[in-house]
Amino acid sequence: MTEHPLDDLAAFALGVLDPEESARVERHLASCASCRAETQAFAETAWVIAETQGRDVPSRVRAAIVERARAEGPGRSSLADFFRRPVPLLVPVALAAVLVLSLAGYGTARRDADRYAAVVAQTVGAKVVPLAATGAVGGIRGSLVIPANGAAPYLILDLPPAPAGKTWEAWVIRGETPLRAGITDERGLTTLTLSASVASGDTVAVTSEPAGGVDAPTGDPVLAGKS
Amino acid sequence: MARIARGDPAALGELYDRHGRTVFGALYRMLGAPEPAEEVAQDTFHAVWRRAGTYRADRGSVRTWLLAIARNAAIDWRRTKGRRTDREAAIDEAAELVEEIRVDDRVIASLRAERVRAAVASLPAEQRIVLSLAFWSGLSQSEIAARTRTPLGTVKSRVRLGMSKLRDQLRPETEGA
Repeated sequence: MTEHPLDDLAAFALGVLDPEESARVERHLASCASCRAETQAFAETAWVIAETQGRDVPSRVRAAIVERARAEGPGRSSLADFFRRPVPLLVPVALAAVLVLSLAGYGTARRDADRYAAVVAQTVGAKVVPLAATGAVGGIRGSLVIPANGAAPYLILDLPPAPAGKTWEAWVIRGETPLRAGITDERGLTTLTLSASVASGDTVAVTSEPAGGVDAPTGDPVLAGKS
Repeated sequence: MARIARGDPAALGELYDRHGRTVFGALYRMLGAPEPAEEVAQDTFHAVWRRAGTYRADRGSVRTWLLAIARNAAIDWRRTKGRRTDREAAIDEAAELVEEIRVDDRVIASLRAERVRAAVASLPAEQRIVLSLAFWSGLSQSEIAARTRTPLGTVKSRVRLGMSKLRDQLRPETEGA
């Protein structure tokens, strides 16, 4: 576990950290209950301050909010819908490694694919879950790695370039709830440390999303697997 | 929140009834005028409607999640639609952390407001000013440092110390509410 970012928790709760600092704190919070509690206390303080500034709102605002929700219907994401369908089969790790290696062995795979297979095969002291390519995008592959020593889970990815104006975004889906887990604009072989924790039974997926990432998935998964 | 996630518009209305006044007031402070505050308040609750499924109770209460969404939406609004003069005005108006407390007619709210006023008044002026900018200007700590010509480390420690004092003094207000 990294050092507790105690000096930054109040600023994080107020949303006044610079983006890279904020991302660092968010990663830490994913795995640290005591810092989460501390941050929540600051967020509640911010709420109490905000409450003193409350103002009466014109009634048209409430009507517009409820009417828009009614007209639009439930705010389900396409990703949640996707996971109401059967989840891709879990491929045993050893078999997956063999598959990856044998695919690489055909010589048609790119050099990165060879390196991808090697990196996955060399992962030790961790649970490795291959993510199934859904076919939405070609030439993509990925594995979820959950280190046994409690370090943050990460993805090993072999990525085509993201579509123009898009970024690759990872999700941890717990039940039907997708949690943001990180973005990357890399192509080729790369790793992405997940900012959300992964529990047994969670599904991990990757989608392409508008540059900078979004809070709830809008695209179909390109990779998915169940931990 | 579960009812909102299941697509019940009435539940969204109830959330609005409980917290709309605070969200609107905070947006008014950040944006400096009623029209943008109305627009962003609508966007905020629309975002809650769409994202209710992503709410995580282990990360905080619904109301703090709501406030965070509202604050981000206000910052986005200022960056994309706000005129420069609006932005400057809002920053000038951030001079006091808690100005002219507007309590509603619930007695408990006015009692609470007095405690908040006292807690804020007990902060050293430099912490109050930095916190006020952090709350209402939509500037990040490094932007506050540049604007106030103060070293970033000093801004950070004022945010941290000021918030810690407020949290400690207001703790009974924030528990279980």
